[in-house]
Amino acid sequence: MPRVQTKCFDELEYSRDAVFEFPTGVPGFEAERSFVFLELPGTHPLMFMQSLSRQDVCFILLPVLAADRDYELHLLEEDLAALRFPAGSQPQIGKDILCAVTVSAADSQRPHPTVDLFAPIVVNLKQKIGIQAVQTQYSAQHPLRSEEEAVAC
Amino acid sequence: MLVMRRRAGDSILLGETIEIQVLEICGTRVKFGIVAPDSVVIQRKEIKITRDENITAARSVRQQDISSILAKVTPRPAVDATVIGLTNVTV
Repeated sequence: MPRVQTKCFDELEYSRDAVFEFPTGVPGFEAERSFVFLELPGTHPLMFMQSLSRQDVCFILLPVLAADRDYELHLLEEDLAALRFPAGSQPQIGKDILCAVTVSAADSQRPHPTVDLFAPIVVNLKQKIGIQAVQTQYSAQHPLRSEEEAVAC
Repeated sequence: MLVMRRRAGDSILLGETIEIQVLEICGTRVKFGIVAPDSVVIQRKEIKITRDENITAARSVRQQDISSILAKVTPRPAVDATVIGLTNVTV
């Protein structure tokens, strides 16, 4: 079994069919083409998207519907083509595709953790191919709030 | 914001060296041609937004960050995660 050096979770074994290809990388990390998705005990529902070629490139992901239960994903024709879906098809989240958003921790610039609803990671689960599919109607820095905080608003 | 009306084939000039020409208008889509010096970075705005956010997100994977983020999310059935075959990865 091949092994990957991860950013935070030491060295992990993975199987070849757990590797997802991003043919153009993701903006800012265009050279990173192969990723594995990690799920760890105690961090559900978070996932981690770890580059196979650069140990320091790893993203925290949240399934998009856990970040916004009413989220509507619109894939353009070029997105469908990049994901190798037929033109005009409407892939279903959880069945045909994984749709997850990157999470940024709170820092001096942002008081709360935020999720990037503007550019979700979308992965064709069968073809093992992924892109970042821009959704211009959503915010790139959507505050991540617990249910109690959301109710209080 | 300066607002201008232009037709297909018309151009606007930014300073002396940058020209943006409207090449084609088709429904809701517009095709531009851009002439600019090599030193000018031209990019789609959504890619710039995404790049900046990705770089910030990639800095966030530290244990203390993960704990503070977990405090904000309500556990839900991991529909996506199980489908994706993440069990292939062993810790």
